[in-house]
Amino acid sequence: MFKKPTLKKIGIGLVGLSMITIAEARDQIRIVGSSTVFPFSTAVAEEFGRSTGFKTPVVESTGSGGGLKLFCAGVGDNYPDITNSSRAIKSSEIELCASNGVKNVIEVKVGYDGIVLANSKEASQLSFSLQDIWLGLAKDVVVNGEIIPNPYQYWNEVNPSLPNSKIEVLGPPPTSGTRDAFAEIALEGGCTAYPEVEALRAKDNNRFKALCHTIREDGAYIEAGENDNLIVGKLLANPGAIGVFGYSFLEENSDVIQGSFVEGHEPSFDNISDKIYQISRSLFVYVKKAHIDSVPGIEEFLNEFLSEKAMGDFGYLAEKGLIPLPAPELLIVQNKADNLISLKN
Amino acid sequence: MTDNSSDNLYISKVDWNSKEQKDRLKKRYLIERIFKGFAIASLLSALVALFVVLASVFITGVSGFKETRITLDINMDERIVGDLSSMSDEELRRHIPSINANQMIINALREKFPNVTSRREIFEMLRLFSVGAQTEIRNSLLNDHNLIGETVTMNLKASSDVDMLIKGKISREIIEGDRKISDQQLQWIDQFIQEGKIIQGFNWSFFTSGDSREPELAGIWSATVGSLLTLLVTFVISFPVGVGSAIYLEEFAPRNRFTDLIEININNLAAVPSIIFGLLGLAIFINIMELPRSAPLVGGLTLALMTLPTIIITARAAIKAVPPSIKEAAIGLGASKMQTVFHQVLPLSMPGIMTGSIIGMAQALGETAPLLMIGMVAFIVDTPSSITEAATVLPVQVFLWADSPERGFLEKTSAAIMVLLLFLIIMNSLAIWLRHRFEKKQ
Amino acid sequence: MGTFSLFLILILLMIIFFVLGKNKSLLMVKSNIRNLHSRPVHYGYSVGINSFIPGFCILAIWMLSEGYIIDKLLISHLGEKSANLASFELTNLLNSIKEYFESANPDPELLRHVEYYITTSERIAWTFFLSAIAACCFSGFRTLNNIKPDINSRNNLEFIIKIVLVIFSVIAVITTIGIVFSLLFESIRFFDQISITEFVFGTQWSPQTAIRIDQVGSSGAFGAVPLFLGTMLITAIAMFIAGPIGLMSAIYMAEFASDRIRNIAKPLLEILAGIPTVVYGFIAALVVAPFIRNVGEAIGLEIASESALAAGIVMAAMIIPLISSLSDDVISVVPKSLREGSLGLGATKTETTIKVILPSALPGIVGALLLATSRAIGETMIVVMAAGMAANLTINPLEAVTTVTVQIVTLLTGDQEFASAKTLSAFALGLALFITTLALNAFALYIVRKYREEYD
Repeated sequence: MFKKPTLKKIGIGLVGLSMITIAEARDQIRIVGSSTVFPFSTAVAEEFGRSTGFKTPVVESTGSGGGLKLFCAGVGDNYPDITNSSRAIKSSEIELCASNGVKNVIEVKVGYDGIVLANSKEASQLSFSLQDIWLGLAKDVVVNGEIIPNPYQYWNEVNPSLPNSKIEVLGPPPTSGTRDAFAEIALEGGCTAYPEVEALRAKDNNRFKALCHTIREDGAYIEAGENDNLIVGKLLANPGAIGVFGYSFLEENSDVIQGSFVEGHEPSFDNISDKIYQISRSLFVYVKKAHIDSVPGIEEFLNEFLSEKAMGDFGYLAEKGLIPLPAPELLIVQNKADNLISLKN
Repeated sequence: MTDNSSDNLYISKVDWNSKEQKDRLKKRYLIERIFKGFAIASLLSALVALFVVLASVFITGVSGFKETRITLDINMDERIVGDLSSMSDEELRRHIPSINANQMIINALREKFPNVTSRREIFEMLRLFSVGAQTEIRNSLLNDHNLIGETVTMNLKASSDVDMLIKGKISREIIEGDRKISDQQLQWIDQFIQEGKIIQGFNWSFFTSGDSREPELAGIWSATVGSLLTLLVTFVISFPVGVGSAIYLEEFAPRNRFTDLIEININNLAAVPSIIFGLLGLAIFINIMELPRSAPLVGGLTLALMTLPTIIITARAAIKAVPPSIKEAAIGLGASKMQTVFHQVLPLSMPGIMTGSIIGMAQALGETAPLLMIGMVAFIVDTPSSITEAATVLPVQVFLWADSPERGFLEKTSAAIMVLLLFLIIMNSLAIWLRHRFEKKQ
Repeated sequence: MGTFSLFLILILLMIIFFVLGKNKSLLMVKSNIRNLHSRPVHYGYSVGINSFIPGFCILAIWMLSEGYIIDKLLISHLGEKSANLASFELTNLLNSIKEYFESANPDPELLRHVEYYITTSERIAWTFFLSAIAACCFSGFRTLNNIKPDINSRNNLEFIIKIVLVIFSVIAVITTIGIVFSLLFESIRFFDQISITEFVFGTQWSPQTAIRIDQVGSSGAFGAVPLFLGTMLITAIAMFIAGPIGLMSAIYMAEFASDRIRNIAKPLLEILAGIPTVVYGFIAALVVAPFIRNVGEAIGLEIASESALAAGIVMAAMIIPLISSLSDDVISVVPKSLREGSLGLGATKTETTIKVILPSALPGIVGALLLATSRAIGETMIVVMAAGMAANLTINPLEAVTTVTVQIVTLLTGDQEFASAKTLSAFALGLALFITTLALNAFALYIVRKYREEYD
């Protein structure tokens, strides 16, 4: 707005008048980002606050994309120190960060997570192939060699072995890393089963990506916001619906919801860590190096995240459903985090 | 006479004792009864709604004030604790949180169940205890250094799943996979119960701790402080501004288009949905003024604008109710208009103004929607110490817990609602008490 | 020497000047108050306020201009280096100077600028700090010197207070303007991307847009009809239940009930009105929705757990007290003579109510119902917790629908990105909501006011 600078100053003035000198730095870590990593980072934050003298970090769930956007907006007290992500940072985001002066970003891989399709235990357990998932959720599908808008309304139209229930999937919005990973692994995996699509890949990569990754918008796929807890609640309320979210939420709520088989494998701790269950991805934490000196506790927070009592086989993160890094990989990551090695452009 | 007789004739034509008339009367009384019945039924259904709300909150919430503890003999092993006696206070403060209390619990469990050896089993057994149990052990060491090397019988906080089982919220009947507690864990719990080592008590930590991802550790203290700080900001802004504008509009404002505009505007503002104020707060306070997100300062400012119309309207009514004779007497004695207002009118209308303000504050205390817009929904554990720190408020805490899938949060949600309702009732009673007190004085 | 400590010092000085002013006025007339034009405190206040205002103005100027002055000085200090930088690069450079963190191998060039920044900002702060105190003292002593027994300081003081009161009463107007502007401004940006006709008449709502250039997301559909329809459906259910119940409760309490019942029922209804909406939302999701679903199952109906019916019923409970207290007000305004006249002619209470009282209170009751409708439309927490997220185009109360307020909350919690149509659409929805409730409310107030004038 045209008065922005003036009003902003009034804002600063208000803060000034509210018993805080402007110059005083923030002494509490602020974390944003993925809703999938949210349960892990809150658990670490809580333990970190309990077991050290530092303040407990404030964690807000904004989605991986949304988090990286906030994270990359700049350096200073008003910007978050850490963002969680359920996918690796994209080159376009590294550029965005750099153009806003966020030059040194430390990438810490914290573990693996499967993406599950789950429904209420009141309904029967389902079994999908990647092709079923694509046919059920894509905007345009291939029918008899032709690309047409998705005509399917019921699961049994997609695959006769699936139940005769309406396609109703609650899933993450585009800000979510789960959405990106889901599109890249599950949907793309399903659509490449068609030779005509495979042929398209070589010819027109953009068209191929659009066809494979675009999710239908006719109401069968419902964007449920950055709150996976809410999706679980909605699934319980509506046994016909299927939810798409991280494995940890299935683990946490295994008494009321069940994961569907994908390509014949059940989403379980072992299946995901052995990569038998196909839809899985890595989870990351990104740290702004420039903040480490000004906001106390960031390094200690990272150490807590990567410590044995959190990451170990029986650590509290495993209990929450995080699939920890295998020991040798963890060592590399720990080393990287200790030395604060940042990403290269 | 003819007129009179025709009247008589007319009246005599209606035979009040005829069956027709009696039926008509009966019908009228029947309608009366039906109508009255409907009216009573309506009032009753409104009261039933109140009862359902309060009863379901009470029934689900009352167990939230109780907690389950497991008695265990903890050996304060010096090898684990380290040498505390030689440390300064500062060193202690840093050292104590790093003590591996988990190992002490494991050792105690190993001693108690010697035949449990596999790591998986020990892990399962450890899950009977809350992560808060470790903090309890550390705190006991912090309070009394002489415990080192001794074996102390401690009542440690049980995990939420055990708590739910003991409270009967997890059924033992359902099959193992669908239950959060395994059959093996159930056996150990039964053994603890037989030995009388599972006890239930009042959950003090619910009132002293902040939010947590673990239902058994979650508390309302930081949300309560957040609410108080937010209300403080709201009051400091909306009370003087509200009373000031009420005084101006009622006593000084000339009757012209501009004051009419202000009046219409205030009445309309009172009915604007609260979420719109949230959008205002987000657009103006956070995006343009760049005030800190999630802070009571922003929440308070937003709520102040929202409660302003309520305060102005009630304050105007209170000022209007002051008898003109008092004002005239004051002016007659040579007081200026301003003196009359501040020395006579304001003190007399204060009870009404206070009542209105407290009602406005109660409204602000229960408000959730606008605060969701300005980021007060983050995971915030620490108690805020200033109005620019990240904080959450009681109703938002209720919202967050209500959305959490863990079963343990259900009773916490209801318990938090009970506390919130208690605050609201206290505020409203305060309003009534104030009104009475001032009325008596007059 | 922060702004806050200056503020405290100014307040302290104001108190000192108040005491000085008061004492001086007393001294001048040798404690014989009769010879003073105004009361001693008036002199005190007037000296105090006169000392405070100039100091405070300088403080305000300081807070508003500090950043600007420092930026300008820094840029001139950077000299040529800053001239050929793009604006965002310059901002970054300035920020890296201002928020400089110590590092192992500092860039000496940068360090020079950092030192310059620190010394200048300190110098500027001291300048403002001292000049504010000086202005405060100067103005204070000047007014103090001017105190004479016949100076009309009460009038001067009252003039200042009056101006403050006017400013206070304008704040409500500013709030409205702020609401309109913030909604309008973001909405216009939204309508730059999405046409108004699509928003108002489109029947598909799926606000998903790509957030990165290289992301293949969805094109997004912003047809708000399903949201408006969902809102209307839930509101209609709530009004259908709460309208008769609220009105009849009011009639019962005003016309039939004994004082004792009234004294019990009224506070109970007030409690119902005072329950926070988040509690209603919790009850809707916990008790009412499962109950309705079970009843539906028992009679063979398939009811969605987030049915419009459940949200509507709970919302009805919320607005019953509102309707009953508003209609109670209008019913009790009906003159007693009308009531007694009707009863005296032999009409039953029911007949009196239906044929005499309700017709004359009708405009007020309509107004009450309209106000309640506007409240139901704007209600957020109940529907966030109990209504669905899927934008179904349906008027079947047993299905899940979503509402305008639910979508605003979903769009704005978490991710905030003020360039995408997704986030901006929340403001367009807010604007639509604001206009609707404002229109309903203005109409209701108009009716109520017109009706009241008849009897006053």
